[in-house]
Amino acid sequence: MNWDILIRYAPALVGGFGVTIFCWLMGSAVGLAIGFAVALAAAVPSRALKAVLRVYVEVLRGTPFLMQLFILYSGGPAIGLRLSATTAGIVGLGLYSSAYYSEIFRAGFAAVPRGQIEAAMSVGMAPIDILARVRLPIALVAAAPPIINTLIVMSKETVVLSIITVPELMYQMQTMAAETFTAFDAIFAMAVFYWCLVEVVSRLGRRVEERATAFLASR
Amino acid sequence: MTVPMISMRAVGKSFGAHQVLRGVDLDVLGSEVVCLIGPSGSGKSTLLRCVNFLESYDEGEVRIEGELIGYDIDKEGARRLMAQKRLREMRREIGMVFQHFNLWPHMTALENVSEPLVRVRGLKKAEASERAAAMLKRVGLAEKAHTHPQRLSGGQQQRVAIARALAMQPRVMLFDEPTSALDPELVGEVLEVMRALAADGMTMLIVTHEMGFAAHVANRIAFIDEGRIIDEGPPRHVFHQSKEPRVRQFLQTYHDRNAF
Repeated sequence: MNWDILIRYAPALVGGFGVTIFCWLMGSAVGLAIGFAVALAAAVPSRALKAVLRVYVEVLRGTPFLMQLFILYSGGPAIGLRLSATTAGIVGLGLYSSAYYSEIFRAGFAAVPRGQIEAAMSVGMAPIDILARVRLPIALVAAAPPIINTLIVMSKETVVLSIITVPELMYQMQTMAAETFTAFDAIFAMAVFYWCLVEVVSRLGRRVEERATAFLASR
Repeated sequence: MTVPMISMRAVGKSFGAHQVLRGVDLDVLGSEVVCLIGPSGSGKSTLLRCVNFLESYDEGEVRIEGELIGYDIDKEGARRLMAQKRLREMRREIGMVFQHFNLWPHMTALENVSEPLVRVRGLKKAEASERAAAMLKRVGLAEKAHTHPQRLSGGQQQRVAIARALAMQPRVMLFDEPTSALDPELVGEVLEVMRALAADGMTMLIVTHEMGFAAHVANRIAFIDEGRIIDEGPPRHVFHQSKEPRVRQFLQTYHDRNAF
């Protein structure tokens, strides 16, 4: 371990880690929002809309994330879409993860027992209230574990953003390795950062899951 | 002559090629308790679900206090689905209790009862909780107000479900096999609540296999087989004097077990 170099590059690495977390959180927020909207829209009884959403999900899930990023960042200007590297990274991560989140939400809604919806209909509740007060809470409990899992997966997908020059952790690490010829130290430092992040997220996630399923405990 | 609370005329329904209901006529008057009995798959639950239009019917009419439910009829006499808002308004006046309780698992007993009062009746939260607590007391569950459904027995869950429906102050109550999912020793507490409700003058239409309860509480029994009412009348008539072989055959199994 070359501690001198690590200490000298610590500000850059910590800064990069901050960019990683920023892109991950923003991208996840975009992904969750779009994914939720897609899952809701898929419930609309229109075959055309369903087909469009199906293609959306299949294309984003069926092609590599790196390729999508290239199209967005390098291909975007061809259609007048000029995004900074970081913005492209966030939008890209959001679109890519939205395909996964929409499937998770869809499965969550499908897990809501029909009878509990009928009970709400039988007292004359409006569809919006049934969604907000009955379907969504029950769906979220079912969706919590896969959402947390996908959040963790996406936190590590952020390394791909380094390729379009987003100054996140991987990018800083490569810079350090190139400037100081310390490949091992740099990779080791990066592993520690990611491992800490994932550990924190999975611990928080477990707590969320426990709270969400507390009322199902005796089932 | 008073308008029946529920009035069904020539109600028919098919699931694909299978005809579930074949021209059912049935009236339920105010404060009357009518039990629908019959073999499994005879269409009794489907008929009950047509009353609040959870199930649509293809033919005939279902009227609640004279108003057609589920459809509007235009000038040419053609039927169209009625406005959803109006359907919701009608459903508010029709309480329903399900075989599997269908309580919302993320809410306490009290919240299950107060939620519709807030969302549908527009009560303030405190007011809704107060009325919900009173309803839970009425079904003997005052001390379980803050318990989630999963920690309640089946009988207790069904009593909460009854309280939820009652809190809306419906004009009529529908029961879809309310005790069929319960352990035998929990059936009594639910029937006791229903008996008290009937004594208070609630109009009730009940699908049940509890022949003893039907014999003692119902004003009228309708026996359904293959989507038709094949016999109807006071309990004494249907249980002891029916001339229909299918009714006698069905009831024989209960006679054999001394069920009533």
